Amino acid sequence: MPYGLSRACLAIGLACSLSSLVFACTSEKEAIAPSKALFEFAKPTNFPEPIYTFESNPITEEGFRLGRKLFFDPILSSDGSVSCNNCHIQSNAFADAQQHPFSVGVDNRIGKRNAPPLMNLAFMKEFFWDGGVTHLDFVPINAIESDVEMNETLAEVIKKLNAHPEYPMLFEEVFGSEEVTSPFMLQALSQFMLMLVSADTRYDRFQRGVGEELSTEESIGLQLFKEKCANCHQGELFSDFSYRNNGIGTTDKDPGRSAITDTESDFGKFRVPSLRNVALTAPYMHNAKFATLEEVMDHYDRGVVDSPTLDPILKNEGILGISISEDEKKSIIAFLRTLTDHAFRLDSRFQNP
Amino acid sequence: MKYLNLLMVALTISFIACNEEENDVPIVATETGSLKVQFDHRVGKAEMKLSEEGSTTYAYTDAKGQQFNLTRFGYYVSKIKLEGPNGELYEDEMKVGASAEDVKGYYHVLESDAASQFITLKGVPSGKYNKVTFTLGVDEDGMKDGAVGGVLDPAEGAWFWNWNAGYIGFIMEGASPDSPQEEVDGGGFKIYANSFAIHVGGWKEVEPLEGQPKKFTNNVKVLTLDFDADITVSPKLGPKAHIIVDALKILDRGEVDFSTTYAVHSPVLGKPIAEQLSGAFILDHTHQ
Repeated sequence: MPYGLSRACLAIGLACSLSSLVFACTSEKEAIAPSKALFEFAKPTNFPEPIYTFESNPITEEGFRLGRKLFFDPILSSDGSVSCNNCHIQSNAFADAQQHPFSVGVDNRIGKRNAPPLMNLAFMKEFFWDGGVTHLDFVPINAIESDVEMNETLAEVIKKLNAHPEYPMLFEEVFGSEEVTSPFMLQALSQFMLMLVSADTRYDRFQRGVGEELSTEESIGLQLFKEKCANCHQGELFSDFSYRNNGIGTTDKDPGRSAITDTESDFGKFRVPSLRNVALTAPYMHNAKFATLEEVMDHYDRGVVDSPTLDPILKNEGILGISISEDEKKSIIAFLRTLTDHAFRLDSRFQNP
Repeated sequence: MKYLNLLMVALTISFIACNEEENDVPIVATETGSLKVQFDHRVGKAEMKLSEEGSTTYAYTDAKGQQFNLTRFGYYVSKIKLEGPNGELYEDEMKVGASAEDVKGYYHVLESDAASQFITLKGVPSGKYNKVTFTLGVDEDGMKDGAVGGVLDPAEGAWFWNWNAGYIGFIMEGASPDSPQEEVDGGGFKIYANSFAIHVGGWKEVEPLEGQPKKFTNNVKVLTLDFDADITVSPKLGPKAHIIVDALKILDRGEVDFSTTYAVHSPVLGKPIAEQLSGAFILDHTHQ
């Protein structure tokens, strides 16, 4: 083939491929866009940029479905009794049941900290109350291998999945490898968890100016919240994701963040949690100290206990806590309830099919 | 996606077609060869021999006079680099991915696996080389993409801390009559009486804010070892660098006392050991 002709081939080939690509995509998109979009990660307009490394693990519908199957499957636990869903329940924004201040694992073993809600994980740089895990993929290993949670080994889970009648086929479909390996399993779980985006609250609709109004009490609550709470619970995720000692004065000796940073001044500090869906995620704090939002308000108003690592925000000129009147507490709580995402807790995509 | 693949096929075919035509212009390829790095584990002057877990036979004695044996010994090596006196440079390819075959440049060297102690660097540009640099442990690059496969897959024997997520870069386990470790039967795993476990991990490197203490313990070490002579790599020559790793130096220089150091499972506890690692890797000799 003469040189010139091969160049022409390239040009024609490219043009043909491109045009067919464009046409194909257009018609394909028109035909199936509505269902496809349900399985695409979409950043809510009022959210910051996501942190998750999507380039290493792009979400597909099949990957999401596989992750969901794993999420609801007690095969991850040593005795087949505990799935992720045991402690992360959709109606509670994937937090634990209120009657479980600490997670309940195999043989009814009790965990050490309150299981957090699972939502908006793509926007978080660290995970768990102490931030010890820096990538979402590594999160499930903790639950699987904890002796008080699933009490299983990662290697054993992989063995069970490879011997399963369905999983190898599903992994092949998603990752092109019939052999189930732990990185693929963890990526599938991440795909499901990344899709747990909660941003459809009354507050969000108000914020986006799409016809939602807040009541007078909720508006007053929002203003008070900005004044008294938003130093830590800032931004659209309602957390600065820092680690702070909020004066709950625990006697449980949980070192919190200092076990990760090897820094004494971080003793007793825990991550500032997001307050989205907070009305669904009781009890509150890492040690589940407070059963209601009223108790949380009372704590900040008059329950803060001093200690060497107490957050300076909670100790102004020697006065502990944040002064909040009873009326103000009611307003703030009314505002916090606008952060409940009912569409999220009912979203059929996140249910065990 | 399917159409994108078709596009790629179309492009590839077209490029191949072009290349066939252009091949009559001779391309002067840089000549390359290989270099083998051997890690040879010793305890002082003795060759390292692992004991069965639970063994109460102690083959070795440290400078403190404490007897001990070893049941597990190994580490991760990554980011291997060769340099020469005239600017020669070879950097081993580094890559991570969920598929095992996408993981490149990470080596899990284990006393229990003889093959793992030999690393053959291929595609090294011909020339003279006089030093090797490598990372001991797995730094941020091995962590930032999330779950990855191969020697970094915890289900396939990778050493990983879940709670403070990161790879354990170095492990030395064994037993000593001086270790007060009591037997633990964890149902599925067992910790033997008088055993010790030294796990060195910790990779987070964060510059402190002004006036703040430096947080996190980073135990990942970069070692550079000079060769005893310039060695030549060429398509016909396969030289070898022989590195001795002396466990006794780690224990003695780290002043490890098994009566207090027998359960090292956090970055901060591993720091005194990590500080001794570079002194325990000795470039003994090279073979041309």
